[in-house]
Amino acid sequence: MTLAENLFENLRLELRRGCLTLAVLAQLRQEHYGYTLRKALAARGMEIDENTLYPLLRRLEAQGLLTSEWREEDKRNKRFYKLSADGHDIFARLLKEWNDINTAITNLL
Amino acid sequence: MEMLDRYLQAVRRHLPWRREDDIIAELRANLEAQLEDKEAELGHKLTGAEVEAWLKQLGSPIQVAARYQPQQYLIGPALFPIYRFLLRMVMGWCAVIYTIASTVEIVSRGLGPDASVRAVVQLPWVLFINAAVFTLIFAILERTGIKVPEKFVQGAAIGNEWPQAAVSSHLAQLDGRKKPKTYLQAVLELVVGWIVLVWLLLVPHYPFLLMGPGAIYLKVTPFELAPVWWTFYWCVVVLNMMELAWCIIDLLQDRWQDRHPRRHMIKQALDLLPLLIVLAAPGRVLFALKNPADTAHAATLAQINMWTYRGFAVIAAITILQLAWTLGRMGVETYRRRLAAQ
Repeated sequence: MTLAENLFENLRLELRRGCLTLAVLAQLRQEHYGYTLRKALAARGMEIDENTLYPLLRRLEAQGLLTSEWREEDKRNKRFYKLSADGHDIFARLLKEWNDINTAITNLL
Repeated sequence: MEMLDRYLQAVRRHLPWRREDDIIAELRANLEAQLEDKEAELGHKLTGAEVEAWLKQLGSPIQVAARYQPQQYLIGPALFPIYRFLLRMVMGWCAVIYTIASTVEIVSRGLGPDASVRAVVQLPWVLFINAAVFTLIFAILERTGIKVPEKFVQGAAIGNEWPQAAVSSHLAQLDGRKKPKTYLQAVLELVVGWIVLVWLLLVPHYPFLLMGPGAIYLKVTPFELAPVWWTFYWCVVVLNMMELAWCIIDLLQDRWQDRHPRRHMIKQALDLLPLLIVLAAPGRVLFALKNPADTAHAATLAQINMWTYRGFAVIAAITILQLAWTLGRMGVETYRRRLAAQ
């Protein structure tokens, strides 16, 4: 990887980092377990590596934005996540921030 | 499945032990579902080689487990700028002290070019060891800071109030006053004060701590310190202890933010004491001959005494000027406030 490509990759990852959280929160307005969440996000054009998504879910839960419960589905125990009450509130605020940024960037371009 | 089990077992070894069962159970459910999807997509059960390729694609077990660990820093972003600034300063001073000490040793003992080369070669090691100790101190501070982050990063918990804090701080500077001390600065002062005190107490037993390799010179020189130096030494120790006690009291009373300008002035005045002790030495004798009958070094001794005495007189004059400057500034500040109040 050249220096320019490396720089681009770092900036791209930096740009994506905050967006991923917003995407996950948006998708978890409906309940999902890790793998179906990943598939749902990918189906909407937001590919997330499993090594990023699964730990992110735990962090968001530890921060009180998600709730989870273990439940059996298809004869297998799975951990299902959804937005908590605080998560809904934070998501709404982040979404507004996102829209403001989007508008600002659009105005700039 | 056996290969997946082995993979998960390898991941488990690097997970935080309290949550490992929970994390592995979740990871297993997700990966098994992913595997089933893959098999359904391909229309056949994955072969050993295909499972192996898929697991390799997931990443090494250490990398996978590391994502579940909290982000850890040896020295985090809050402390790092202070660490970098102080490290540069410490390294600079180390290099200067080491160079002076080595030069003194080489010149006084008449050592050849070999000794000079050896001293230059050893310099990186001296710097490396000092940097390592300094880094260790900051790593400990970082660990402590993680436990009480709101005290270390002042304003981090304030959230939206930061512009006001910044404006107030700017105004305070314009106002001629310094910013309030942070908890980190107060703790650093205490740590540094403690290190200095320990260093001071060790110096009489280990003179190389003060003079470096030049300490050997003390053994071979025909001169010895006059008794006045012991009074000077204990005065310095007591002053350091007093300052350390002030730091501890401030921390215990949660008054570490205060700058205590009056106390600073008192300290400056007290700093004059050890200098005055030396200047008041009977007969201005600061060094004496180990062997009083040794007349060969009497002239050199007189010169050493004279120049040391003059050196201390200059230092005392500078300290008095500093004290006068501080007093003057305090006076102007009081006058300004009085005018502002009218």
